[in-house]
Amino acid sequence: MDGIVTRETLVKWAPLLVLLVLILFFAVMEPRFISVRNMARIAIASAPALMVAVGVTFIIIMGSIDLSMEGTVSVSAVVFAFAFLAMGGTVLSWAWLALPLALIVGAVIGLINGLVHVRLRIPSFMASLAMGFVGTGFALLLTGGDRIRIEDEVFRGLLTERWFGFPVMCYVALLFLFIAWFIQSRTTLGRNFYAVGGGEELAHASGLNVDRVRVMGFMLAGVFYAVGALLAVGRIGIAETATGNNFMFISITSVVVGGTALWGGIGGVWNTLIGVLIVNVIGNGMVVIGLPGYVQDGVLGLLVITAVVLSTDRKSVSFVK
Amino acid sequence: MSLERIKPHLPWITLLVLVLIVGIADSNFLRPQNLMAMVADIMPLFIMALGMTFAIYIGGIDLSAQSVANMTTVVATVALPTFGISAALICIVAGLTFGAVSGFITTRLLVPSFVSTLAIGGVAYSTAQYLSGQRALYMDATLRDNSFGWMVGNSFGISHEIFIGAALLLIMLFLQHRTTFGRALKAVGAGELAAVASGLSVARIKIIAFALSGMLAAIAGLLFAVKLSGGSPTLANGFLLPAIVAVLVGGTPLTGGVGGVLNTLIGTLIVAVIRSSMLYFEIDATMQQMVFGIILIVAIAATIDRSKMRIVK
Repeated sequence: MDGIVTRETLVKWAPLLVLLVLILFFAVMEPRFISVRNMARIAIASAPALMVAVGVTFIIIMGSIDLSMEGTVSVSAVVFAFAFLAMGGTVLSWAWLALPLALIVGAVIGLINGLVHVRLRIPSFMASLAMGFVGTGFALLLTGGDRIRIEDEVFRGLLTERWFGFPVMCYVALLFLFIAWFIQSRTTLGRNFYAVGGGEELAHASGLNVDRVRVMGFMLAGVFYAVGALLAVGRIGIAETATGNNFMFISITSVVVGGTALWGGIGGVWNTLIGVLIVNVIGNGMVVIGLPGYVQDGVLGLLVITAVVLSTDRKSVSFVK
Repeated sequence: MSLERIKPHLPWITLLVLVLIVGIADSNFLRPQNLMAMVADIMPLFIMALGMTFAIYIGGIDLSAQSVANMTTVVATVALPTFGISAALICIVAGLTFGAVSGFITTRLLVPSFVSTLAIGGVAYSTAQYLSGQRALYMDATLRDNSFGWMVGNSFGISHEIFIGAALLLIMLFLQHRTTFGRALKAVGAGELAAVASGLSVARIKIIAFALSGMLAAIAGLLFAVKLSGGSPTLANGFLLPAIVAVLVGGTPLTGGVGGVLNTLIGTLIVAVIRSSMLYFEIDATMQQMVFGIILIVAIAATIDRSKMRIVK
């Protein structure tokens, strides 16, 4: 078998290859692209998206989908901002409690999401889409359309404090990426995600409580959305209903482009890192070489279709809806 | 009477009950002018939901409807000075094309429809941004009135938008009940594998269904652009949720196969009445999205045919 490039190896390494080719392409077109300054810019844009994408990766590994991230991010961000300001407005006071609170909010929304999906037996894409709408609506209700400014210098240090040219938020994202990797590969829950995604009936038959795994997955995803929300607020210093905007498209695109198959069981958080970087390198690179930014959505749309087509084993799929 | 026998009648009973509740709370609501204005106002949404019905009827979903409508508001505004009334044709063809491409990607390339339409929605959004130069555009009043004046206004005390909605409904009813396409659509919705086994070209039927969805989304965008006399890449934002709600509340389940365009009319009216009732009961407008999100969950849970799904993913 050695030396033969099979479809499997191609699919496995294609995302990394695409990323390298893209970086090379943009670097040749515009040398400034690979400056530390620009790399930091890409990393800053990637950090919140990476957290959200990592969250949904767990769900996609199970063969389900979660489209609630926009609502969850908005609610977590807004609740965090209100609590943060109410409890003192600086990380050095009791207001630091707002940080774990945001993660709990994310987990609770994920829990509701998972329960609606599992208990009411509604397909996850629709249950989560509806929950996302509810979330965005709830965030709007909380803010009444206002923007909440977070001006605490310690919290904004996420963006302003730089180590080796990269802001702290990039390292925070990296830390949570490692946590996600640990959950994925070193815990029973992480293994169970793959078991459910690889074959639900088999997982069920081997005594796995599939429903419980699903609900736990949605909760875990909610926590990571909340981390993404915190980084997004740290990045711009504002929490509002629109904080969650566009995360759905970006994160799903990232996960799929990174090589995690929509059918479940394949891929993981490292794929998602590659996917997020591909998406953000394209976005940044197009601006750097002087293409208008709005082409991005169209290009990403085509990219995601290509990625799904490539990752689909056409022999094993009879029909899709 | 068992629940299963009442179920098909639930949508219109819901509508009637809602109208009565709001009517009792505020008798102004039942004035014909008020009802007429409410119905005329909901027509762009109705047309989009009409298209969405086909996508959901075959067990899929069209998440690009809103982006396609957004795009056509821009296309209509940009094309109006050069093409006059033919701008409408351009919009319709654009919608058909985007829908057909979604359908092609779903059926031939085996990409689930929620991903393919999301991606095509991205393409539509980029197109709209490109054509509009990322600005809100306005139609020239005389040009608009010359070409599309007939779309807005009144005849016999009935707003023209209602005529347009009714005409489209009749065409789609005809398609659904009196053509082989309609029958084939039902076969695909009721059981795709059986439809394949009986020799139907399922892929073609599904592509047509998505193309119809795209076309009607485009017409909805066109009507909306004429109504507001302009276009922008975000003009129709906020249409997607109520459009899906309208289809599901009307009684076409997410699993497809039953319901249809007439159900969507009832569903859209339910959406309209709920919207106005929130106004009458002085419920904050910021709550609207949350309310519709919850209604959506309830509607899906109530209508979905669980016997069709062995595993719920």
